[in-house]
Amino acid sequence: MSVILSAQHVSKSFSVRQNEDVLALRDVNLDVYEHEFLCLLGASGCGKSTLLNMFAGFTPPSQGDILLRSSPITGIDPRCGMVFQSYALFPWRTVRKNVEFGPRMKGLPADECRSTAGRFIEMVGLHGFADHYPAELSGGMQQRVTLARSLAADPEVLLMDEPFGALDAMTRHVLQEELSRIQRESLKTIVLVTHNIDEALIMADRIVVMSPHPGQIKAVITNDLDRPRNIDVQLSPAWGELKKEIWSLVAGDVSLHAS
Amino acid sequence: MTSARNMASNLVAPPDRTKQKRRSSLRDRPIILLNILGVFAFCISWALVTERGWVSPLFLPSPFKVASEAAAVAATHELWWAIAASSVRVFLGFALAAAIAIPLGVLMGSWWPAKALLDPLISLLRPLPSITWIPLTMLWLGIGEAQKVAIVFMGSWIYVLLYTVESTKRVDPILIKAARNLGASEFAVMREVVLPGALPGILSGLKVSLAIAWSCVLSAEMVAAQNGLGALIWSAKDWGNLALVLVGMVSISATVLVADLLANRLERALLPWERHKRQS
Repeated sequence: MSVILSAQHVSKSFSVRQNEDVLALRDVNLDVYEHEFLCLLGASGCGKSTLLNMFAGFTPPSQGDILLRSSPITGIDPRCGMVFQSYALFPWRTVRKNVEFGPRMKGLPADECRSTAGRFIEMVGLHGFADHYPAELSGGMQQRVTLARSLAADPEVLLMDEPFGALDAMTRHVLQEELSRIQRESLKTIVLVTHNIDEALIMADRIVVMSPHPGQIKAVITNDLDRPRNIDVQLSPAWGELKKEIWSLVAGDVSLHAS
Repeated sequence: MTSARNMASNLVAPPDRTKQKRRSSLRDRPIILLNILGVFAFCISWALVTERGWVSPLFLPSPFKVASEAAAVAATHELWWAIAASSVRVFLGFALAAAIAIPLGVLMGSWWPAKALLDPLISLLRPLPSITWIPLTMLWLGIGEAQKVAIVFMGSWIYVLLYTVESTKRVDPILIKAARNLGASEFAVMREVVLPGALPGILSGLKVSLAIAWSCVLSAEMVAAQNGLGALIWSAKDWGNLALVLVGMVSISATVLVADLLANRLERALLPWERHKRQS
């Protein structure tokens, strides 16, 4: 497997007040392999979203390099497509026009944009809603539209920042299974940020456990539970053991943060 | 929303909008009734104080006198020509203001050097009422159509500009980020995100400016004009025809109300996505 995206000795600090810097990430090294589903997992403050934003080129590292196919990322890069937690759909565009946005920006002919959009709308299960405006859809459906929009733009890596954080537990569960299915069908490389261990266990090939103050990588765990990870897998002893292992890694951080 | 299937079935049958509308209009009925009652009560008291001779017709003509005067000027087409003349001036001045102020406002709202350069000038121009431009514009443009259009322009362009700058700045930065992330160039971001994102605010600005444009044209016409509603009122005053003054005033109200109604229609047609927001 070849490395597609990598963070090399990446540190990031933010200035909160004059002469007061907070170190969000310290010396992070991480390789993301092509076609894998990687989860960044950790308590709040561990810098997982910061790392994701640097992968997207939204913010540069203070030290170190972010490399995409061995060349540094210097600005917002469409090759690393971001699925925002707050959806970030264009409210003045219908579902179809939102999903068509990426192909259109690439300059593809109109009929090709339309058929690409149609295919991804179908894939996320929104057939029949192509001409609705985002405001007419539920949160779960808007999240599907964002996913379809990012997939239609055909990035090399799909970055997802707690994409299901704002959804109710049951909708989230349905979308987690669908995202797993879509990833297996499209073989898209996905980096997903979450603070939910079950979410990481359902979807990830590898789980990067991060710890806060300053943010750093604590462990990288390979998740080779059987797929599809349905309810039987979720009730298996292997699942329990893996969950326990991850929990023991993050438990200290969570209680520290909560106190 | 318990499952994907349920979620889908909810949307297969979207909420019945006609039903919603009917319910809301039923609730509105007492409001409309009171609206009419208020106008009616006002007219009755007006008729009462004038017909009974409590107020001299030299100070306030009766509503019947005003109505017969209105019928007379409407029959000679004088009124319609006056309305048309003023409307054309408003339309031209207003279109010119929008054509210049909207692009300039988008530029100022999205590119800080432009804003920094022009802000002081605009602060100086903003407090000037449009009538203060009458002497200069008369000197430059005479007392013809161009001068009236210039007064309308001077009175309205700054408001269009300020609304455009404000709403351009308020476009959600995450949408711009998302567009860039989906491969949009700087220019595409401007055309595909900033402009439509600012459009609701720009249209509100245009509506506010439309009313201001009307007050500008009337003051310009009162100072120097052969026709138009302002000239109609001013010459009626000179002839001591108070009823015609009132006809002119009512016509102004009616014309501006119609213009506002058309603007609202246009706004709804241009912002189809806002309709759902308002309903929910």
